[in-house]
Amino acid sequence: MAFPANYQKMKKYKITISGMHCASCASNIERSLKKIPGVKEASVSLMLKKGKVEAEDNVREEELRKAVERTGYKATGVESE
Amino acid sequence: MENMDNHHHEQPVEDDEIKDWRKKLLWSWVFTIPIALLMLSERIFGFEIIEMPYSIIVILILAFPIVFIFGHNTIKGGIRGLFTFYFNMDSLIALGTIVAYLTGIFSLFELVADYSGVSAMIMAFFTTGKYVEALARGRASQEIRKLLELGAKNARIIRGNKEYKIPISEVNVGDLMIVKPGEKIPTDGIVAKGESAVDESMVTGESLPVDKLKGSNVIGATINQDGILYVRATKVGRDTFLAHIIKLVEETQSEKIPIQKLADKITSIFVPLILGIAILTFVNWWYIGGDLSRAIGVGVAVLVIACPCALGLATPTALMVGSGMGARRGILIRKGEAIQTIKEVKTIVFDKTGTITKGKPEVREIYSKIKENYLLEIAGSLENLSEHPLSRAIVDKAKLKKYRKVTGFRILRGRGVEGRISGKEIIIGNTILMKEQRISTKDVDEKIRSFEEKGYTAIIVSENRKVLGIIGVADSVKEDSISAMFEMKEMGFKTVMITGDNEITARAIAKEVGINEIIANVLPEDKAKKVEELQKSSMVAFVGDGINDAPALKQSNVGIAMGTGTDIAIESGDIVLAKGSLGGVVSAIKLSRATFSKIKQNLFWAFAYNVIAIPLAVAGVLHPVIAEIAMALSSITVVTNANLLRRKEI
Repeated sequence: MAFPANYQKMKKYKITISGMHCASCASNIERSLKKIPGVKEASVSLMLKKGKVEAEDNVREEELRKAVERTGYKATGVESE
Repeated sequence: MENMDNHHHEQPVEDDEIKDWRKKLLWSWVFTIPIALLMLSERIFGFEIIEMPYSIIVILILAFPIVFIFGHNTIKGGIRGLFTFYFNMDSLIALGTIVAYLTGIFSLFELVADYSGVSAMIMAFFTTGKYVEALARGRASQEIRKLLELGAKNARIIRGNKEYKIPISEVNVGDLMIVKPGEKIPTDGIVAKGESAVDESMVTGESLPVDKLKGSNVIGATINQDGILYVRATKVGRDTFLAHIIKLVEETQSEKIPIQKLADKITSIFVPLILGIAILTFVNWWYIGGDLSRAIGVGVAVLVIACPCALGLATPTALMVGSGMGARRGILIRKGEAIQTIKEVKTIVFDKTGTITKGKPEVREIYSKIKENYLLEIAGSLENLSEHPLSRAIVDKAKLKKYRKVTGFRILRGRGVEGRISGKEIIIGNTILMKEQRISTKDVDEKIRSFEEKGYTAIIVSENRKVLGIIGVADSVKEDSISAMFEMKEMGFKTVMITGDNEITARAIAKEVGINEIIANVLPEDKAKKVEELQKSSMVAFVGDGINDAPALKQSNVGIAMGTGTDIAIESGDIVLAKGSLGGVVSAIKLSRATFSKIKQNLFWAFAYNVIAIPLAVAGVLHPVIAEIAMALSSITVVTNANLLRRKEI
């Protein structure tokens, strides 16, 4: 009752990304991840080659992987926390 | 089994990337050098090695593998970006090199001048730049890699009287490990037997070895110095101190700092913007200048000179070097934002107990109107039921063999305790409690005052509403608190101590340490409120142990949490210090300042580069190859400059 009807549990993901080598790569991936409905926050680190995503519970790991690949990079691992 | 997961995925990525770029770089130059000789032969040797137009054909053949084979990934990624609208810098390089390459083919029909050699050189310099940049980026993360490599690989454990050497991933909580002199302690644990000194510098920054004996906590990855230790494992895998440090450092890396926002915004529109500028430049030169060849040359120069990399790398590389340097010294920057905010901080509030002082109060003086033994007996029995540090001090002093039976025990938060012993009403606590209970302290007021002036906390013991005596308890100041406080004053901070002690006691301690202001008589739950009040006049940093002052740490603009031995207060605090000394606060401030000024420098150079270089390219002043070299240098400069942060004394 305390939660609004559309309340979704948030989940955090850590994505390992390969193939990034420039700053615009990172911002492209962020943009692509944020386009997935349900993704609230996405931040990609070029230095760590990792992305951090905060998304609603119903977002599937496969969608995240696809979003990374759509921009031309590889998601070598998706872990949820 | 999933213990050592930190080890495999991070490290090889960087190395593979460097190796990959190196291979491409070498092959590119093997083909580029002959091209350069062909192109410049007339100027160098005074004759053409191969006559025109055959030389163009040779150059086209030589340039093909450079652009399309060694540069395959760049071309593929770039073209893909152009079609999917996820432009990246590969798109610029791909477009630039392909256009240049095609001119070679068209020049055979004498449509335009030949830039095919240029395409090879652009790709060769691009690859070289990326290689050097990858090397420098690898250097930027060296501290963090060292942290990852720090963990022990194996452990010697005892199972059923036998010693086994097993991989660290197979150690379970509860295993008894043997650590010989010079060996790494495999994982966090508690000493079960033996005595030794342990070098913890690699994780806490503490330079002196720390003595360990039965019951001491030890940290995995620290090095046992001289004795044999038997350690019972308490934490393994992801739960260890080292794993937490690594996690913290990694999290910082994916944090965005406010100052970076503009750069990020520009980065995200940079490539389409440059594409637009390049097209306009080309059209302009062709239409107005009327020279198609020249227009192509200038357009290509614009494409390849512009690079979002310097902008994008400016902040993360400096943050990487800074947070890595910190991690090696026991300073963990949890929120990247803190390094920017700390610049604005004018006031630093210190929690007293456990932060300025050791957090282990001891009884210093007793004034008793009756037999001291009796006073300690009832005080010890009552205080034994409380976990408060002041209570522990009294219990330790009393060292009772047998505790008296206490009924109706109650803790009066921030004031004291009460209960009944043999039917007598015992109330022990501070003057506030006495006043509240209307117990007269008139005859001992002077004594209380003298205790407080020495910096002792005066604990009054009463029986049936009559004062029996006073116990003076004090917590000694940490060794480096005084020098750290002096340095912080020198740096221009206003220092404030917050404590539950009363005014006089607090003032005595503040004077000893050299603190400007005190806020006394504060109940633990009110600390955050006091911080909020101070925030009305300036930004405030709060330094505390993170255990009972988490709300104050959160409320402050920069929360600095001090670790206590083997536990680091991860959830509270923007900056976490592994070692519980105030010297760490000074270092953290210095490190933050140095890192932030490096970030500013980097951003300045990156902006300046693009602001100057792009117009020059548009104006047609720069040859495309020179433009490409400038671009490669711009990102290398930024990363190298970030690496120079290491020269700073922290």
